[in-house]
Amino acid sequence: MKIALECKKIRRTGLVPAFLAGGAAAAALPIINTAVRTDTFAAMAGTPASILLDANSQMLAMLNLLLLTAGACILYHIEYADHALLKMQSLPARESGLFFGKLCLLIPLFLIVAVLETTALYYCGMRYLDGDAALFAELLKSLGFSFLLTLPAAALSLMIASVCRNMWNSLGICILCIFMATMLPTDNFIASLFPYALPFRVLPGVSADHVLRYCTAALCETGAVCMAEIIYLKIRRLSV
Amino acid sequence: MNIFRMTKAEFKKIKRSRILLILIASAVILWLPNVLNAGLNFTMDDIGISPEHSFFIQGFMGMAWFIFPAVMVASTVLLIQTERANKGILKMLSLPASAPLLCLAKFFVLAVISAVFVLLMAAAYYISAGIAGAAQDYNFILMPDYVFPILVKLYLVSLPMLSVFWLIAVCIQTPVFSIGIGLASIVPSVLINNTKAWFLYPMGYPFYLVTAEYGKAAENFGERQMDLVPWLPAAISITLICLLISCLYFGRAERR
Repeated sequence: MKIALECKKIRRTGLVPAFLAGGAAAAALPIINTAVRTDTFAAMAGTPASILLDANSQMLAMLNLLLLTAGACILYHIEYADHALLKMQSLPARESGLFFGKLCLLIPLFLIVAVLETTALYYCGMRYLDGDAALFAELLKSLGFSFLLTLPAAALSLMIASVCRNMWNSLGICILCIFMATMLPTDNFIASLFPYALPFRVLPGVSADHVLRYCTAALCETGAVCMAEIIYLKIRRLSV
Repeated sequence: MNIFRMTKAEFKKIKRSRILLILIASAVILWLPNVLNAGLNFTMDDIGISPEHSFFIQGFMGMAWFIFPAVMVASTVLLIQTERANKGILKMLSLPASAPLLCLAKFFVLAVISAVFVLLMAAAYYISAGIAGAAQDYNFILMPDYVFPILVKLYLVSLPMLSVFWLIAVCIQTPVFSIGIGLASIVPSVLINNTKAWFLYPMGYPFYLVTAEYGKAAENFGERQMDLVPWLPAAISITLICLLISCLYFGRAERR
Protein backbone atom coordinates (compact mmCIF):
# COMPACT_ATOMS: atom_id res chain seq x y z
CA MET A 1 0.00 0.00 0.00
CA LYS A 2 2.69 2.44 1.08
CA ILE A 3 4.91 1.52 -1.85
CA ALA A 4 2.02 1.88 -4.29
CA LEU A 5 1.41 5.36 -2.89
CA GLU A 6 5.07 6.27 -3.29
CA CYS A 7 5.00 5.04 -6.88
CA LYS A 8 2.10 7.37 -7.59
CA LYS A 9 3.92 10.30 -6.03
CA ILE A 10 7.01 9.99 -8.18
CA ARG A 11 5.00 9.84 -11.39
CA ARG A 12 5.72 13.39 -12.47
CA THR A 13 9.12 13.85 -10.85
CA GLY A 14 10.93 12.07 -13.66
CA LEU A 15 12.68 9.79 -11.20
CA VAL A 16 12.21 6.57 -13.18
CA PRO A 17 13.37 8.06 -16.51
CA ALA A 18 16.29 9.67 -14.66
CA PHE A 19 17.42 6.34 -13.24
CA LEU A 20 16.96 4.62 -16.60
CA ALA A 21 18.91 7.36 -18.38
CA GLY A 22 21.56 7.33 -15.66
CA GLY A 23 21.84 3.57 -15.95
CA ALA A 24 22.15 3.80 -19.72
CA ALA A 25 24.86 6.47 -19.43
CA ALA A 26 26.69 4.44 -16.79
CA ALA A 27 26.45 1.38 -19.02
CA ALA A 28 27.84 3.31 -21.99
CA LEU A 29 31.01 4.33 -20.11
CA PRO A 30 32.63 0.87 -19.82
CA ILE A 31 31.66 0.04 -23.40
CA ILE A 32 33.33 3.21 -24.72
CA ASN A 33 36.27 2.73 -22.37
CA THR A 34 36.84 -0.85 -23.56
CA ALA A 35 36.22 -0.11 -27.23
CA VAL A 36 38.78 2.70 -27.26
CA ARG A 37 41.47 0.88 -25.28
CA THR A 38 40.90 -2.73 -26.34
CA ASP A 39 44.58 -3.47 -26.91
CA THR A 40 45.63 -2.20 -23.47
CA PHE A 41 42.98 -4.32 -21.78
CA ALA A 42 43.70 -7.42 -23.85
CA ALA A 43 47.39 -7.26 -22.86
CA MET A 44 46.59 -7.18 -19.12
CA ALA A 45 46.98 -10.22 -16.89
CA GLY A 46 43.98 -11.66 -15.04
CA THR A 47 40.51 -12.86 -15.89
CA PRO A 48 38.35 -10.66 -18.15
CA ALA A 49 36.00 -9.95 -15.24
CA SER A 50 38.73 -8.66 -12.96
CA ILE A 51 40.26 -6.51 -15.73
CA LEU A 52 36.91 -4.93 -16.52
CA LEU A 53 35.95 -4.40 -12.89
CA ASP A 54 39.31 -2.88 -11.99
CA ALA A 55 39.14 -0.48 -14.92
CA ASN A 56 35.55 0.67 -14.52
CA SER A 57 34.00 -0.03 -11.16
CA GLN A 58 35.37 3.03 -9.31
CA MET A 59 33.78 5.30 -11.88
CA LEU A 60 30.56 3.30 -11.86
CA ALA A 61 30.40 3.37 -8.05
CA MET A 62 30.77 7.14 -8.15
CA LEU A 63 27.97 7.46 -10.70
CA ASN A 64 25.75 5.14 -8.67
CA LEU A 65 26.30 7.17 -5.52
CA LEU A 66 25.56 10.45 -7.29
CA LEU A 67 22.42 8.98 -8.81
CA LEU A 68 21.25 7.62 -5.46
CA THR A 69 21.92 10.97 -3.81
CA ALA A 70 19.92 12.87 -6.43
CA GLY A 71 17.12 10.32 -6.16
CA ALA A 72 16.98 10.46 -2.36
CA CYS A 73 16.95 14.27 -2.39
CA ILE A 74 14.05 14.34 -4.85
CA LEU A 75 12.07 11.71 -2.93
CA TYR A 76 11.96 13.94 0.15
CA HIS A 77 11.91 17.22 -1.78
CA ILE A 78 8.43 16.38 -3.10
CA GLU A 79 7.27 16.04 0.52
CA TYR A 80 8.81 19.28 1.75
CA ALA A 81 8.16 21.42 -1.35
CA ASP A 82 4.47 22.18 -0.81
CA HIS A 83 4.20 21.12 2.83
CA ALA A 84 2.91 17.70 1.85
CA LEU A 85 4.81 16.24 4.78
CA LEU A 86 2.46 18.00 7.22
CA LYS A 87 -0.47 16.21 5.61
CA MET A 88 1.36 12.89 5.77
CA GLN A 89 2.09 13.49 9.45
CA SER A 90 -1.59 14.08 10.21
CA LEU A 91 -2.60 10.73 8.69
CA PRO A 92 -3.19 7.77 11.01
CA ALA A 93 0.07 6.17 9.91
CA ARG A 94 3.57 5.88 11.23
CA GLU A 95 5.91 8.46 9.82
CA SER A 96 8.69 5.90 9.57
CA GLY A 97 6.48 4.05 7.09
CA LEU A 98 7.11 6.90 4.69
CA PHE A 99 10.85 6.37 5.00
CA PHE A 100 10.61 2.63 4.40
CA GLY A 101 8.24 3.13 1.48
CA LYS A 102 10.75 5.47 -0.13
CA LEU A 103 13.64 3.12 0.65
CA CYS A 104 11.76 0.21 -0.95
CA LEU A 105 11.37 2.37 -4.03
CA LEU A 106 14.93 3.63 -4.18
CA ILE A 107 16.56 0.21 -3.85
CA PRO A 108 14.84 -1.45 -6.86
CA LEU A 109 15.57 1.64 -8.93
CA PHE A 110 19.23 1.30 -8.01
CA LEU A 111 19.10 -2.43 -8.78
CA ILE A 112 17.95 -1.62 -12.33
CA VAL A 113 20.97 0.66 -12.76
CA ALA A 114 23.33 -1.97 -11.36
CA VAL A 115 21.92 -4.65 -13.65
CA LEU A 116 22.30 -2.37 -16.68
CA GLU A 117 25.94 -1.73 -15.75
CA THR A 118 26.67 -5.42 -15.26
CA THR A 119 25.08 -6.22 -18.61
CA ALA A 120 27.36 -3.66 -20.24
CA LEU A 121 30.41 -5.21 -18.55
CA TYR A 122 29.31 -8.67 -19.70
CA TYR A 123 28.91 -7.39 -23.25
CA CYS A 124 32.41 -5.86 -23.10
CA GLY A 125 33.88 -9.11 -21.80
CA MET A 126 32.25 -11.22 -24.49
CA ARG A 127 32.85 -8.83 -27.38
CA TYR A 128 36.39 -7.57 -26.70
CA LEU A 129 38.12 -9.87 -24.21
CA ASP A 130 36.77 -13.33 -25.27
CA GLY A 131 35.10 -14.14 -21.99
CA ASP A 132 33.58 -17.50 -21.17
CA ALA A 133 30.98 -18.87 -18.77
CA ALA A 134 33.14 -17.97 -15.77
CA LEU A 135 32.84 -14.29 -16.70
CA PHE A 136 29.09 -14.38 -16.18
CA ALA A 137 29.39 -16.00 -12.76
CA GLU A 138 32.09 -13.58 -11.64
CA LEU A 139 30.15 -10.52 -12.78
CA LEU A 140 27.01 -11.84 -11.09
CA LYS A 141 28.89 -12.24 -7.81
CA SER A 142 30.32 -8.76 -8.15
CA LEU A 143 26.83 -7.38 -8.84
CA GLY A 144 25.50 -8.94 -5.65
CA PHE A 145 28.49 -7.72 -3.65
CA SER A 146 28.32 -4.12 -4.84
CA PHE A 147 24.53 -4.06 -4.49
CA LEU A 148 24.81 -5.17 -0.87
CA LEU A 149 27.58 -2.67 -0.14
CA THR A 150 25.60 0.23 -1.60
CA LEU A 151 22.59 -0.33 0.68
CA PRO A 152 24.01 1.68 3.63
CA ALA A 153 24.73 4.67 1.39
CA ALA A 154 21.19 4.51 -0.03
CA ALA A 155 19.63 4.42 3.44
CA LEU A 156 21.90 7.16 4.77
CA SER A 157 21.23 9.46 1.78
CA LEU A 158 17.53 9.02 2.32
CA MET A 159 17.92 9.75 6.02
CA ILE A 160 19.89 12.94 5.32
CA ALA A 161 17.21 13.96 2.82
CA SER A 162 14.50 13.34 5.42
CA VAL A 163 16.30 15.48 8.01
CA CYS A 164 16.93 18.53 5.81
CA ARG A 165 14.04 20.72 4.82
CA ASN A 166 15.88 22.28 1.90
CA MET A 167 17.10 20.23 -0.99
CA TRP A 168 20.44 22.01 -1.37
CA ASN A 169 21.32 21.22 2.24
CA SER A 170 20.70 17.50 1.82
CA LEU A 171 22.43 17.53 -1.55
CA GLY A 172 25.39 19.42 -0.12
CA ILE A 173 25.75 17.08 2.84
CA CYS A 174 25.52 13.97 0.64
CA ILE A 175 28.13 15.42 -1.74
CA LEU A 176 30.41 16.12 1.22
CA CYS A 177 30.00 12.52 2.39
CA ILE A 178 30.86 11.16 -1.07
CA PHE A 179 33.85 13.50 -1.20
CA MET A 180 34.98 12.34 2.24
CA ALA A 181 34.76 8.74 1.02
CA THR A 182 37.12 9.53 -1.84
CA MET A 183 39.60 11.13 0.57
CA LEU A 184 39.67 8.24 3.08
CA PRO A 185 42.67 5.88 3.00
CA THR A 186 41.79 2.70 1.10
CA ASP A 187 44.04 0.32 3.00
CA ASN A 188 42.42 0.90 6.39
CA PHE A 189 39.59 -1.57 7.09
CA ILE A 190 37.83 0.61 9.68
CA ALA A 191 37.93 3.70 7.43
CA SER A 192 36.55 1.72 4.50
CA LEU A 193 33.46 0.88 6.56
CA PHE A 194 32.22 4.46 6.13
CA PRO A 195 28.85 3.97 4.36
CA TYR A 196 29.82 6.05 1.34
CA ALA A 197 33.23 4.38 1.06
CA LEU A 198 31.82 0.83 0.92
CA PRO A 199 30.57 1.02 -2.70
CA PHE A 200 34.13 1.73 -3.86
CA ARG A 201 35.22 -1.80 -2.81
CA VAL A 202 35.70 -4.05 -5.83
CA LEU A 203 35.18 -7.78 -5.44
CA PRO A 204 38.42 -8.95 -7.17
CA GLY A 205 40.47 -6.71 -4.86
CA VAL A 206 38.94 -7.96 -1.61
CA SER A 207 40.32 -11.04 0.13
CA ALA A 208 37.92 -13.91 0.81
CA ASP A 209 37.68 -13.45 4.58
CA HIS A 210 37.02 -9.72 4.15
CA VAL A 211 34.09 -10.32 1.78
CA LEU A 212 31.95 -11.78 4.54
CA ARG A 213 32.96 -9.03 6.95
CA TYR A 214 32.05 -6.31 4.46
CA CYS A 215 28.67 -7.90 3.74
CA THR A 216 27.85 -8.20 7.46
CA ALA A 217 29.01 -4.64 8.06
CA ALA A 218 26.86 -3.35 5.20
CA LEU A 219 23.75 -5.09 6.53
CA CYS A 220 24.44 -3.90 10.09
CA GLU A 221 24.94 -0.32 8.91
CA THR A 222 21.71 -0.37 6.93
CA GLY A 223 19.86 -1.64 10.00
CA ALA A 224 21.53 0.99 12.17
CA VAL A 225 20.55 3.80 9.79
CA CYS A 226 16.93 2.60 9.75
CA MET A 227 16.89 2.47 13.56
CA ALA A 228 18.44 5.94 13.76
CA GLU A 229 15.78 7.27 11.40
CA ILE A 230 12.96 5.80 13.52
CA ILE A 231 14.43 7.32 16.69
CA TYR A 232 15.01 10.67 14.97
CA LEU A 233 11.41 10.81 13.75
CA LYS A 234 10.11 10.07 17.25
CA ILE A 235 12.25 12.84 18.73
CA ARG A 236 11.22 15.31 16.03
CA ARG A 237 7.57 14.50 16.63
CA LEU A 238 7.92 15.12 20.35
CA SER A 239 9.88 18.34 20.00
CA VAL A 240 7.53 20.04 17.52
CA MET B 1 15.80 48.15 -10.91
CA ASN B 2 19.36 48.02 -12.09
CA ILE B 3 21.56 44.97 -11.95
CA PHE B 4 23.37 46.01 -8.76
CA ARG B 5 20.19 46.36 -6.71
CA MET B 6 18.97 43.04 -8.07
CA THR B 7 22.20 41.30 -7.12
CA LYS B 8 21.95 42.82 -3.65
CA ALA B 9 18.40 41.45 -3.34
CA GLU B 10 19.61 38.02 -4.44
CA PHE B 11 22.24 38.02 -1.71
CA LYS B 12 19.58 38.82 0.87
CA LYS B 13 17.59 35.79 -0.28
CA ILE B 14 20.38 33.32 0.38
CA LYS B 15 21.30 34.81 3.75
CA ARG B 16 19.86 31.96 5.78
CA SER B 17 20.66 29.18 3.33
CA ARG B 18 23.66 27.75 5.27
CA ILE B 19 25.59 27.47 2.00
CA LEU B 20 28.60 28.99 3.74
CA LEU B 21 28.61 26.10 6.24
CA ILE B 22 28.74 23.60 3.38
CA LEU B 23 31.61 25.51 1.79
CA ILE B 24 33.57 25.62 5.06
CA ALA B 25 32.91 21.95 5.79
CA SER B 26 34.18 20.95 2.36
CA ALA B 27 37.37 22.97 2.90
CA VAL B 28 37.95 21.21 6.23
CA ILE B 29 37.24 17.75 4.80
CA LEU B 30 39.61 18.46 1.92
CA TRP B 31 42.60 19.67 3.94
CA LEU B 32 42.37 17.47 7.04
CA PRO B 33 43.67 14.26 5.33
CA ASN B 34 46.35 16.35 3.62
CA VAL B 35 47.58 17.64 6.98
CA LEU B 36 47.50 14.15 8.51
CA ASN B 37 49.40 12.63 5.57
CA ALA B 38 51.75 15.58 5.07
CA GLY B 39 54.71 13.22 5.54
CA LEU B 40 53.93 11.58 2.18
CA ASN B 41 55.02 14.77 0.42
CA PHE B 42 58.63 13.98 1.31
CA THR B 43 58.58 10.77 -0.76
CA MET B 44 58.00 12.44 -4.14
CA ASP B 45 61.64 12.25 -5.27
CA ASP B 46 60.88 10.21 -8.40
CA ILE B 47 58.46 12.86 -9.66
CA GLY B 48 60.89 15.64 -8.80
CA ILE B 49 58.56 17.98 -6.96
CA SER B 50 59.42 19.85 -3.78
CA PRO B 51 57.38 18.93 -0.66
CA GLU B 52 55.73 22.32 -0.33
CA HIS B 53 54.61 22.38 -3.98
CA SER B 54 53.37 18.82 -3.68
CA PHE B 55 51.33 19.71 -0.59
CA PHE B 56 49.73 22.68 -2.36
CA ILE B 57 48.98 20.93 -5.65
CA GLN B 58 47.67 17.69 -4.10
CA GLY B 59 45.12 19.67 -2.10
CA PHE B 60 43.96 21.72 -5.03
CA MET B 61 43.77 18.64 -7.28
CA GLY B 62 41.29 17.12 -4.84
CA MET B 63 39.31 20.32 -4.92
CA ALA B 64 39.29 20.89 -8.67
CA TRP B 65 38.41 17.31 -9.53
CA PHE B 66 35.21 16.75 -7.58
CA ILE B 67 34.21 19.00 -4.73
CA PHE B 68 34.42 22.31 -6.57
CA PRO B 69 32.04 21.36 -9.43
CA ALA B 70 29.78 19.38 -7.09
CA VAL B 71 29.37 22.24 -4.62
CA MET B 72 28.62 24.56 -7.52
CA VAL B 73 25.84 22.20 -8.68
CA ALA B 74 24.41 22.33 -5.15
CA SER B 75 24.60 26.14 -5.30
CA THR B 76 22.61 26.26 -8.53
CA VAL B 77 19.97 24.14 -6.78
CA LEU B 78 20.00 26.68 -3.96
CA LEU B 79 19.52 29.63 -6.30
CA ILE B 80 16.72 28.00 -8.26
CA GLN B 81 14.85 26.33 -5.39
CA THR B 82 14.77 29.32 -3.00
CA GLU B 83 12.51 31.00 -5.53
CA ARG B 84 10.44 28.04 -6.56
CA ALA B 85 9.76 26.89 -2.99
CA ASN B 86 6.98 29.37 -2.25
CA LYS B 87 6.32 30.60 -5.77
CA GLY B 88 8.64 33.54 -5.14
CA ILE B 89 9.64 33.47 -8.77
CA LEU B 90 6.11 34.49 -9.81
CA LYS B 91 6.39 37.62 -7.65
CA MET B 92 9.82 38.40 -9.05
CA LEU B 93 8.59 38.06 -12.62
CA SER B 94 5.62 40.35 -11.94
CA LEU B 95 7.99 43.17 -10.91
CA PRO B 96 8.88 45.80 -13.49
CA ALA B 97 12.29 44.20 -13.94
CA SER B 98 13.63 42.43 -16.95
CA ALA B 99 13.90 38.68 -16.63
CA PRO B 100 17.29 38.41 -18.40
CA LEU B 101 18.79 40.85 -15.89
CA LEU B 102 17.31 38.82 -13.06
CA CYS B 103 18.95 35.75 -14.52
CA LEU B 104 22.28 37.55 -14.79
CA ALA B 105 22.00 38.77 -11.19
CA LYS B 106 21.56 35.18 -10.06
CA PHE B 107 24.54 34.12 -12.12
CA PHE B 108 26.61 36.83 -10.44
CA VAL B 109 25.63 35.40 -7.08
CA LEU B 110 26.78 31.97 -8.27
CA ALA B 111 30.07 33.50 -9.44
CA VAL B 112 30.54 35.16 -6.05
CA ILE B 113 29.84 31.88 -4.23
CA SER B 114 32.51 30.28 -6.39
CA ALA B 115 34.95 33.12 -5.57
CA VAL B 116 34.21 32.70 -1.86
CA PHE B 117 34.86 28.98 -2.18
CA VAL B 118 38.24 29.56 -3.86
CA LEU B 119 39.20 32.10 -1.17
CA LEU B 120 38.10 29.73 1.60
CA MET B 121 40.26 27.06 0.03
CA ALA B 122 43.20 29.47 0.04
CA ALA B 123 42.63 30.34 3.70
CA ALA B 124 42.32 26.67 4.59
CA TYR B 125 45.50 25.97 2.62
CA TYR B 126 47.52 28.53 4.59
CA ILE B 127 46.16 27.33 7.94
CA SER B 128 46.77 23.67 7.15
CA ALA B 129 50.21 24.40 5.67
CA GLY B 130 51.06 26.12 8.92
CA ILE B 131 49.83 23.19 11.02
CA ALA B 132 51.50 20.58 8.82
CA GLY B 133 54.70 22.61 8.90
CA ALA B 134 54.69 22.70 12.67
CA ALA B 135 53.99 18.97 12.88
CA GLN B 136 56.64 17.96 10.32
CA ASP B 137 59.16 20.65 11.24
CA TYR B 138 59.35 21.86 7.63
CA ASN B 139 58.17 25.06 5.97
CA PHE B 140 55.22 24.08 3.74
CA ILE B 141 54.02 27.64 3.18
CA LEU B 142 54.40 28.96 -0.38
CA MET B 143 54.65 32.67 -1.10
CA PRO B 144 51.39 34.43 -2.04
CA ASP B 145 52.93 35.60 -5.32
CA TYR B 146 52.98 31.95 -6.44
CA VAL B 147 49.65 30.90 -4.89
CA PHE B 148 47.40 33.81 -5.81
CA PRO B 149 47.97 33.88 -9.59
CA ILE B 150 47.02 30.19 -9.62
CA LEU B 151 43.90 30.90 -7.58
CA VAL B 152 42.86 33.72 -9.92
CA LYS B 153 43.42 31.47 -12.92
CA LEU B 154 41.48 28.66 -11.22
CA TYR B 155 38.59 31.02 -10.63
CA LEU B 156 38.60 32.34 -14.19
CA VAL B 157 38.67 28.89 -15.80
CA SER B 158 35.75 27.85 -13.60
CA LEU B 159 33.47 30.52 -15.11
CA PRO B 160 32.62 28.53 -18.29
CA MET B 161 31.79 25.54 -16.07
CA LEU B 162 29.53 27.72 -13.92
CA SER B 163 27.70 29.03 -16.98
CA VAL B 164 27.07 25.47 -18.18
CA PHE B 165 25.72 24.44 -14.76
CA TRP B 166 23.57 27.56 -14.71
CA LEU B 167 22.22 26.76 -18.18
CA ILE B 168 21.33 23.23 -17.02
CA ALA B 169 19.64 24.54 -13.87
CA VAL B 170 17.61 27.18 -15.70
CA CYS B 171 16.54 25.22 -18.73
CA ILE B 172 15.72 21.86 -17.17
CA GLN B 173 12.67 22.28 -14.99
CA THR B 174 12.60 18.80 -13.46
CA PRO B 175 15.00 19.00 -10.51
CA VAL B 176 16.12 15.38 -10.68
CA PHE B 177 17.35 15.84 -14.24
CA SER B 178 19.13 19.14 -13.62
CA ILE B 179 20.91 17.75 -10.54
CA GLY B 180 21.61 14.39 -12.14
CA ILE B 181 23.03 15.82 -15.36
CA GLY B 182 25.12 18.35 -13.45
CA LEU B 183 26.62 15.77 -11.10
CA ALA B 184 27.07 13.10 -13.75
CA SER B 185 28.93 15.53 -16.00
CA ILE B 186 31.71 15.75 -13.39
CA VAL B 187 32.59 12.05 -13.50
CA PRO B 188 34.02 11.69 -17.05
CA SER B 189 36.04 14.94 -16.87
CA VAL B 190 39.28 13.09 -16.09
CA LEU B 191 38.77 10.82 -19.11
CA ILE B 192 38.01 13.75 -21.40
CA ASN B 193 40.99 15.76 -20.11
CA ASN B 194 43.23 13.01 -21.47
CA THR B 195 41.90 13.43 -25.00
CA LYS B 196 42.79 16.12 -27.52
CA ALA B 197 39.32 17.69 -27.32
CA TRP B 198 39.63 18.66 -23.65
CA PHE B 199 39.02 22.33 -24.45
CA LEU B 200 35.42 21.56 -25.44
CA TYR B 201 34.48 20.25 -21.98
CA PRO B 202 34.19 23.10 -19.44
CA MET B 203 33.68 20.77 -16.46
CA GLY B 204 37.27 19.58 -16.89
CA TYR B 205 38.94 23.03 -17.08
CA PRO B 206 39.74 23.49 -13.36
CA PHE B 207 41.28 20.03 -13.07
CA TYR B 208 43.19 20.53 -16.31
CA LEU B 209 44.64 23.78 -15.00
CA VAL B 210 45.79 22.19 -11.75
CA THR B 211 47.41 19.24 -13.54
CA ALA B 212 49.13 21.73 -15.86
CA GLU B 213 50.50 23.52 -12.78
CA TYR B 214 51.60 20.15 -11.43
CA GLY B 215 53.51 19.57 -14.64
CA LYS B 216 55.26 22.94 -14.23
CA ALA B 217 56.21 22.32 -10.59
CA ALA B 218 57.35 18.71 -11.10
CA GLU B 219 60.28 17.74 -13.27
CA ASN B 220 59.23 14.23 -14.31
CA PHE B 221 55.47 14.54 -14.58
CA GLY B 222 55.15 15.25 -18.29
CA GLU B 223 54.37 18.74 -19.49
CA ARG B 224 50.76 19.54 -20.12
CA GLN B 225 50.29 22.97 -21.61
CA MET B 226 47.13 24.98 -21.31
CA ASP B 227 47.43 26.45 -24.80
CA LEU B 228 45.45 29.62 -25.19
CA VAL B 229 44.72 29.27 -28.89
CA PRO B 230 42.06 26.59 -29.22
CA TRP B 231 41.03 26.91 -25.58
CA LEU B 232 40.32 30.61 -25.00
CA PRO B 233 37.95 31.15 -27.97
CA ALA B 234 36.16 27.90 -27.13
CA ALA B 235 35.80 28.82 -23.46
CA ILE B 236 34.58 32.35 -24.15
CA SER B 237 32.06 31.23 -26.75
CA ILE B 238 30.76 28.44 -24.50
CA THR B 239 30.30 30.93 -21.64
CA LEU B 240 28.55 33.53 -23.78
CA ILE B 241 26.26 31.03 -25.53
CA CYS B 242 25.27 29.40 -22.23
CA LEU B 243 24.56 32.75 -20.57
CA LEU B 244 22.60 33.99 -23.57
CA ILE B 245 20.40 30.90 -23.74
CA SER B 246 19.80 30.85 -19.98
CA CYS B 247 18.86 34.56 -19.99
CA LEU B 248 16.39 34.00 -22.81
CA TYR B 249 14.95 30.92 -21.15
CA PHE B 250 14.70 32.29 -17.62
CA GLY B 251 11.13 32.31 -16.31
CA ARG B 252 9.68 30.91 -19.51
CA ALA B 253 8.06 27.94 -17.77
CA GLU B 254 6.44 30.20 -15.17
CA ARG B 255 5.10 32.69 -17.68
CA ARG B 256 3.29 30.06 -19.70
